[in-house]
Amino acid sequence: MSLRLKLLLLGLGTLFLPWAGFEYAREMEAALRDGEQQSLQAIAQTIAASLQGRSDLLYRMGGDPGLIPPGPNDLQAIPLLAAPFLDGYPDEWPRNSPFRRVYSDGPHRLTLLAGVHEHLAYLLIQVRDPHVVWDAPGADVLDPAGFGDRIWVAFTDAAGAQHEYLVATAEPGPVHARRIETEDLGRQVAIDEPRISGGWQPMSGGYCVELRIPMSMLGARLGVLVDEREHRGGNPVSFGNLDHESLAPMGRLLIPAPQLTSYLAQFVQPGLRLTVLGTDQAILSQVDALSVATVSGAERGLLPQLYRRLLERPQDVKVVAAQAPIAGADRKQTLGFVQIVETAERSLTLRDKALTQLLDFTLITSALAVMLMFAFAAWLSWRLARLRRASESALTREGLVTTFPDTEAHDELGDVARSFSMLLGRLNEYTGYLRTLAGKLAHEIRTPLTIVRSSLDNLESESVPPAARTYLNRAREGSERLNAILVAMGAATRVEEAIQGAERSRFDLRALMDSAVGAYRTGFPQRQFIAELPDEPVLLHGAPDLIVQMLDKLVDNAVDFSADQATLTLRLAADATQAIIEVDNPGPALAGEGHQHLFESLWQSRSGSDSRPHFGLGLYIVRLIAEFHGGSAEACTLPEGGGARFRVILSRLS
Amino acid sequence: MLPYGLPCAPRLQYASVMKLIAIIEDEPAIRDNYAAAFTREGYAVRTYGNRHQAMTACAARLPDLAVIDISLEDEPEGGFELCRALRSMSAELPIIFLTARDSELDAVSGLRLGADDFLTKDLSIPHLIARVNALFRRIEALRRPQTTGQIVQRGSLLVDGERMQIQWEGEVVLLSLTEFWIVHALAKHPGHVRNRQQLMDAANVVLDDNTITSHVKRIRRKFQQLDPKFDAIQTVYGMGYRWVE
Repeated sequence: MSLRLKLLLLGLGTLFLPWAGFEYAREMEAALRDGEQQSLQAIAQTIAASLQGRSDLLYRMGGDPGLIPPGPNDLQAIPLLAAPFLDGYPDEWPRNSPFRRVYSDGPHRLTLLAGVHEHLAYLLIQVRDPHVVWDAPGADVLDPAGFGDRIWVAFTDAAGAQHEYLVATAEPGPVHARRIETEDLGRQVAIDEPRISGGWQPMSGGYCVELRIPMSMLGARLGVLVDEREHRGGNPVSFGNLDHESLAPMGRLLIPAPQLTSYLAQFVQPGLRLTVLGTDQAILSQVDALSVATVSGAERGLLPQLYRRLLERPQDVKVVAAQAPIAGADRKQTLGFVQIVETAERSLTLRDKALTQLLDFTLITSALAVMLMFAFAAWLSWRLARLRRASESALTREGLVTTFPDTEAHDELGDVARSFSMLLGRLNEYTGYLRTLAGKLAHEIRTPLTIVRSSLDNLESESVPPAARTYLNRAREGSERLNAILVAMGAATRVEEAIQGAERSRFDLRALMDSAVGAYRTGFPQRQFIAELPDEPVLLHGAPDLIVQMLDKLVDNAVDFSADQATLTLRLAADATQAIIEVDNPGPALAGEGHQHLFESLWQSRSGSDSRPHFGLGLYIVRLIAEFHGGSAEACTLPEGGGARFRVILSRLS
Repeated sequence: MLPYGLPCAPRLQYASVMKLIAIIEDEPAIRDNYAAAFTREGYAVRTYGNRHQAMTACAARLPDLAVIDISLEDEPEGGFELCRALRSMSAELPIIFLTARDSELDAVSGLRLGADDFLTKDLSIPHLIARVNALFRRIEALRRPQTTGQIVQRGSLLVDGERMQIQWEGEVVLLSLTEFWIVHALAKHPGHVRNRQQLMDAANVVLDDNTITSHVKRIRRKFQQLDPKFDAIQTVYGMGYRWVE
């Protein structure tokens, strides 16, 4: 992984900042919501306190229903959103309302539900009756023989006087209530009450009646009783919440006070929903401004929406609610509850705003940081690369020629560059010393060797006993070998001198190689030589003597590293710009890492030993001569393995 | 330059006595070894360790031949100075450089100062004596009228084996002893390739390839100074050289 990539990854670490910011914003939001909750609670308690003991504000015909908790006979009127159509079908009524009252007798059952809309009260009376009996059509209402199933509705008025009404019909359709009054002489008459009207419809297994009663007629109590008959004019079975004998209502009709809503309205604000509940959790009044929310989602920017989508958790609460009990006048009873619900939109919006800013800032900061880091890393790696290139190319054969970059820098890289520069300088001095060492050594050894050899020469002329002659010969052999070593050691220096004094001429490289290969065949009879030469002459501007010497070294090398009877291949190829000489020999492959050092002075990679001295100068000489000809030398293992190929490239552009 | 071709004054006073060889060499062991060998050959030998001693002695009596090392005690180039001084005293005194220094530059400078030969110390004593003898023979031959006994003519080339002299188109080519022997070996069998070993044997030297090459190069240059079109010495790459007529 490159330095650039590493620093880039580090830079990406700054992206934790937005995350941390988001967590902070969430905390902040929780705190905010907590505060909101508390203020809501305070509002709820204030409203509850203002309603303390005001049962008249809670319920119509206030009495004090709070003192007597709603019993099974009390009927809680529910607020109706629209006036139901009085057709006898229960479609407009809420199904399964908890405020239904159910009275049963055997298989019969009466389900009662009261509702309020504006100044009218409504009753939904559903009767399960497997055997519906209609009134006799056209018969007198008061004639017991024509009595079918009948419904009694009784209530008290504002003054507390009791009124009873009879609802009966001979056919489905509109109905109205009738009052039975006793005239003088005890005669009973049925008087129509047009203010109480409704609809009657049979249902499967019973019938359903809707009734409307103006609120002005109603007092605190109301009840319904069903007289169910098995056959027309039979004895009725009664069930409902009226006293069977006196028809007095056993329960109250609880209707929210109409002024409660306007009372609550003064407290309401956009985004709030105020609800007053009875003790039985019946909604007495509700002022709903929840949907008058502050900012709708569409108005938020694209980015904040994205943030919210990314970061919102499903368990986030969208509303804040508070509830406070309304105490009775004696502070012991509970009249009901004030419930306030506020959308969390406000705190969410606040959170979003903070979050958006935070994220924007941190994202910009992160992006800047990443870019800066990337640029810095690029700059660093550029410097490192420059340093690497410099260190690779600084030490040439001629010595330290390139000036080292970055040595002026005051940072660690500058230190590295300086120490590199110093190290390379020392290395250069050392290799320079090594390079001249062979020559110096050869020179220094030559004098004592001359002493030895001239002494041996003189000894030849003395009378030496035959026994000593052996040792004399050995001493001579040894000194000859020493001399050969000296010659080999000085070879590179002499080639360098030869190169300096070399004269270039135009010659045919092909003919030269042809002739040289002929010489090698004679010179190395234990090897086979194959010359692969082009058909055309290859004219080269250079020093043929040096080229021959180079070939000699290459062939020497190839012979040394191949077995007897091995076949060595000398190849020449040329194009307009360069001539390529290759010498292939079977034998051991090149050691992996030493390829580029092979052509350096004093590089020795042979493992075996023979009698000839080797100083790793042969291939160095090859390189010197190749470079003199504007070319280069390289080595590789043969494609088939098992052998080496040395290639010299000579420039034909003089 | 040593004027081999010029007639010179006879030095009859030394002809009858032993030839005097001066060895100027700062290494006592080598000096004494050479001295012993020359003495054995019947030469009179004087040895000197530095330039000052040598100059004083030579001014008193000029030797018949001088063998000089280039670096003498504290003078790295002392031999060159001495050579120049001796050559100014006598134009025909044979001077041989015998040195541990084998650089091309030293050889060129030595020969340019008028030395008859430039040898490295890896030369064996028999080889050295052969050269010294040859140089004396040449001086003798130069003093005698020219005979035709050892003269070989190859086209424009004339090789006088006795005087060790080469003429090209009638003009004397000034060659050192080694160079003469190389040309002699090549010209003896024109058209035949002489490899480097054969040339070394002929020249009584042990040299490496580069030195042979530079010798041949110097020979060619000397011929080309007389005749720019000279190309009688041909390189047979990888093998050696041959003389073509």
